[in-house]
Amino acid sequence: MKEISVIGANAITYPHLDIWNWTIAVYLFLGGMVAGLMVLGAISQFRSKPLTGEGVSPASCYLSPVLAPILLSIGMFFIFLDLTRKLNSFWFYLNFNPMSPMSWGAWGVGAIIPVSVLWALASIPEQYRHYLKWPKLQDFSFKLSAYRNKLAVANFALGIFLGIYTGVLLSGFVARPLWNSALLPILFLNGGLSTGAALLVLIARDPKEKLFFTKADIALITSEIVVIILFFYGQLTSTAPHVDAIAPFFTTGYYFPFWIAVFTLGIGLPLALVLDVMEVAGFAKIRVHLSAWFVLIGGLVIRLALVYVGQLSSLSDIVHR
Amino acid sequence: MSLTRRDFLKYSAVAAAGASSVPIFKSAMAMGKKPEKVVSHVTTFCEMCFWNCGAIAKVENGKVVKLEGNPANAASKGKLCARGNAGMGSLYDPDRLKHPMLNTGKRGEPKWKKVSWDEALGFTAEKLKSIKEKYGPEAVALISHGSGGSFWKYILNAYGSPNYTAPSFAQCRGPRDIGYLLTFGDGPGSPEQIDLANSKFIVLIGSHLGENVHNSQVQEFVEGIAKGAKLVVVDPRFSTAAGKATWWLPIKPGTDMALLLSWINIILQEDLYDKEYINKYAMGLKGLKEEVKNYTPEWASKETEIPADLIVETAREMSRYKPRVLIHPGRHSSWYGDDTQRSRAMAILSALMGSWGREGGYYFPTKASLSLVYPGIPDMPEPQKHKLSGDWPYAIEATTTAMRRATITGNPYPVKGWIANGCNVMKTLPNQKETIEAIKNLDLMVVVDILPFEHTEWADVILPECTYLERYDDIKVSKGKTLSVTIRQPAVNPMYESKPSWWITRELGIKLGLEAYYPWSDIEDYLKKQLEPKGIRLETLKEKGTISFPDTANPFIAPGNEPVFNTDSKKIELYSKALKEKGFDPVPKYKRPEAPSNGYFRLIYGRSPLHTFSRTTNNQWLWELYKENEAWVSAKRAKAMGLKNGEYVVLVNQDGVKSNKIKLKATERIREDCVFIVHGFGNNSKDLKKAYKKGADDQGLITRYAVDPLMGGTGMRVNFVKIVKEA
Amino acid sequence: MPRYGMVIDQSRCIGCMACVVACKKENDVPDEHYRTRVVELVEGTFPKLRMELRPELCNHCSNAPCVYNCPTGASYKREDGIVMVNKKKCVGCKACIAACPYDARFVDPRTGAAHKCTLCEHRIKEGKEPACVTTCLSKARIFGDFGDPQSTVSKIKADKHIRVLIAEAGTKPFVFYLNPEPLA
Repeated sequence: MKEISVIGANAITYPHLDIWNWTIAVYLFLGGMVAGLMVLGAISQFRSKPLTGEGVSPASCYLSPVLAPILLSIGMFFIFLDLTRKLNSFWFYLNFNPMSPMSWGAWGVGAIIPVSVLWALASIPEQYRHYLKWPKLQDFSFKLSAYRNKLAVANFALGIFLGIYTGVLLSGFVARPLWNSALLPILFLNGGLSTGAALLVLIARDPKEKLFFTKADIALITSEIVVIILFFYGQLTSTAPHVDAIAPFFTTGYYFPFWIAVFTLGIGLPLALVLDVMEVAGFAKIRVHLSAWFVLIGGLVIRLALVYVGQLSSLSDIVHR
Repeated sequence: MSLTRRDFLKYSAVAAAGASSVPIFKSAMAMGKKPEKVVSHVTTFCEMCFWNCGAIAKVENGKVVKLEGNPANAASKGKLCARGNAGMGSLYDPDRLKHPMLNTGKRGEPKWKKVSWDEALGFTAEKLKSIKEKYGPEAVALISHGSGGSFWKYILNAYGSPNYTAPSFAQCRGPRDIGYLLTFGDGPGSPEQIDLANSKFIVLIGSHLGENVHNSQVQEFVEGIAKGAKLVVVDPRFSTAAGKATWWLPIKPGTDMALLLSWINIILQEDLYDKEYINKYAMGLKGLKEEVKNYTPEWASKETEIPADLIVETAREMSRYKPRVLIHPGRHSSWYGDDTQRSRAMAILSALMGSWGREGGYYFPTKASLSLVYPGIPDMPEPQKHKLSGDWPYAIEATTTAMRRATITGNPYPVKGWIANGCNVMKTLPNQKETIEAIKNLDLMVVVDILPFEHTEWADVILPECTYLERYDDIKVSKGKTLSVTIRQPAVNPMYESKPSWWITRELGIKLGLEAYYPWSDIEDYLKKQLEPKGIRLETLKEKGTISFPDTANPFIAPGNEPVFNTDSKKIELYSKALKEKGFDPVPKYKRPEAPSNGYFRLIYGRSPLHTFSRTTNNQWLWELYKENEAWVSAKRAKAMGLKNGEYVVLVNQDGVKSNKIKLKATERIREDCVFIVHGFGNNSKDLKKAYKKGADDQGLITRYAVDPLMGGTGMRVNFVKIVKEA
Repeated sequence: MPRYGMVIDQSRCIGCMACVVACKKENDVPDEHYRTRVVELVEGTFPKLRMELRPELCNHCSNAPCVYNCPTGASYKREDGIVMVNKKKCVGCKACIAACPYDARFVDPRTGAAHKCTLCEHRIKEGKEPACVTTCLSKARIFGDFGDPQSTVSKIKADKHIRVLIAEAGTKPFVFYLNPEPLA
């Protein structure tokens, strides 16, 4: 046992790193979910019929492209809240640092928002176009609809980028062993896709579409649980700081919400599985929604847990864990 | 390296250039340049503790922004400790005493009225006159700590009282000084005349040098160990120094004498002492040998709980390095009431190692002297009564506790006026009840200080002194290996209505009709006329800050530099006939200390490198780093008691006195039988906004004290506390 | 080109904390914040104990994670090795604080910008040493130019067993530590 005392410590780093709170977790959660909307929205666009006629599910048709820039902007607002020198934000766009995930994020999100807005405009079905107030915008929307598939491809690619980025943002810090894992971006991409699918389950009107996203989620939750296990295995078999980094998850303390998250995902999975096996749709709406809600809650809590516990991890021998 | 005036100008120019290159508003200000910063560097010496290191204040636009050591200072060599660096925290403390104030309420339940200096000093002078009339001048006593004290001592002298006391004697280093005086005919000095940098073997007994930051001494200490000196640290607590030690001896508190006597015995039995030196300079070897022969290592091991083989090993190792052995004399030594004798044992051991007057041991201070006196001062009145130094034969100074006793009892004569200067009497004297009882008996209680410490609550009149960065003081004459003089001069003008002690005492003196003793026109005239006859120009001293006379060093015994021992026998007295004649032990004897009863711990106390007693506890930059003290308790016992590291507890002493809440430090670094806390915390003065109620006050728990029969020192490590969970 | 850095002789450090306060006042560091600190580590059980005293500060790494993680270029490395923050470019994203294995940074509450040790570059310019070095009672802190093979620090680096903190982070620090154990 070491007795440690530090004279001249800063509260922001001692007894442990304390820079980011729930706003960052919410940003990462929304960013991941938007990534899911972009990727799955694009996929389902290719699966569905052209944008004409009645009975087309708005989820795949236009709600996911429309929600993507909105939710991402809300996420951006949360990270903006966290900046301590907000008036200087324009500096993000006067510099590009290829080694800085934050820089990639600033430029990436800067590109994603316009591209996803274009996609949203292109995806609005004819019968809803009159909601766009200005005739010029309606014309623009009409012209864009010709590029709908190309925009979907772009959004698919940017969605993958966004999902990965939410994890790289944390994994690029050598100083924080819990985050400093190449699996974290995969975990966050996977989680993002899964929460995106869950959201689509909730907003899709067509029961078949709900079932499709539920099926997608079954695959995503399964792989997410595998990635989580591999993530922990990777930490456990790495250097001592990495081993110490996961210790808070395995001791009684403040960090059991993580397990609630995993548990929640675990409930979401069997619930969804049951539905899948039964190939039921319409009458099982409540259960379908329930499983989606579990996935959303699980996704948020995992991010909260990783943001907080990651700040407890350190390479230094003085940080109290 | 020394700083010349040209250097100062250069620095100022660079700083000013730096300032003008800051581009903010540069273009916006059509009128031209931003006003340049006016930067100056003022030499002075530090008063954050009593070590008085050379300092240079950097002043920007009339504000002290930085303090640095003065490289020209022979002792501190351009370095300042944490407290020295934080000096501005005193200067700019928002809680400072800002105006002279009179208490219009009862004593101890003050109602403060802001008054003019004229009114405050008029009131003080009237009271002093009436005390003198009724009881004689000796009924006024000074209790003082710090550089401003010399002016107060002077006025007290002129007024006719011999009772200038300081806690530095009976509550601190008095026992040690007397112990060495009885052995070598001279004390170890202050700063201690020890050659730590060249020691090969250093022994610290109850000294936590390092946490106790006496700048120059710490520098020398580190130099010594960096050069490979072996280090023994005798301390119940694993101090920072113990962390550097070759041997840490976690001694049972209060049994140091057993270890010392056993070491002496081993060294004599095994003929390990410096024979040539002892034969030449010492007397009483036979008597000493006879007296210590029963103090075997096995016996000492039982008393001290240090393994016998370790006692033997350290004794033999120490002897290998003689005479370059330094048994550090310690400083605060009023522990158990037999402290003079313990210090004598340390002195005897030093003598056996032949280290008095030897390189790596004790050095002789320069024989050069410099007495600075203002010309034409009339003789001071001869005091009509003996100073209050109790019945203790070796109380060479008026003693705080004897003075306090006289204030309570009126014996041998009444004391009716106290002047407390730079000394929080509540935190310096043991048994606060007695102090309060004494203060209640007074006709006048004057507090001269910079901050509203607890004792200001008891004042009739508060005279706000300015801090060391705002004032002149007497020239400091230091006698180390060399003689040097150092100036204190103001870096900035006094803030608020605060005044320097030289001004306060002069104004008060004039009001008391003592004009004859204050013939100078101002402080510069006062200093100049003292310096000039000695060939020192005030201007030069102000510029350099310090002037050393390096040719005066002759620190070690050498042919032609034989030591002089001012003892009765003119030799080192290993066996003291003088003590025997007075009925004391001629050779120190061991007395087993009272043990704490079940559930109790012995309360021991010490220093933090970040604080000087209670006086820095409200300093922003020191407070920030060490806001409250902690109760160090053995981790094992804490666990057994169900106490957690970091939780708040209350200490309750044997007389039922409860401390303020204090954080528990459950640690491997302390023995199971004692609790350690840093001195000076648990401030009860609401006006100290940062320090108020932070930590626990050791002095409040020190209700018992053991009086040293030789010189009246108050042993303060005789209190026991139990730990109670905070309710 | 000079390459500034520091050697810290831990066997000399006595934990007096003078450096902590000197730095604070030299650089007008905000209340309750510090650019340098002293860590005290005690190991063992009574009475077999060992103590390590370790002054810590920005390591002015050659491969500084705070610099490569900064999205705006506010954190930068000078040619002389000193890692600095350009307050004007800083957005307060705190990535540099997360990135630093030495926890050498914080946010200045007065400006919102990242704040850190500058190795007292303003003093170096004037030919002086950093404030923490100048005031160090025990001369545990040794400042110098590693670019000059004749400098004291270069010689120590060449001659002695030195270590850096958290070498495994690959940051290539330029604060070197000497004698973690007491000499006595």
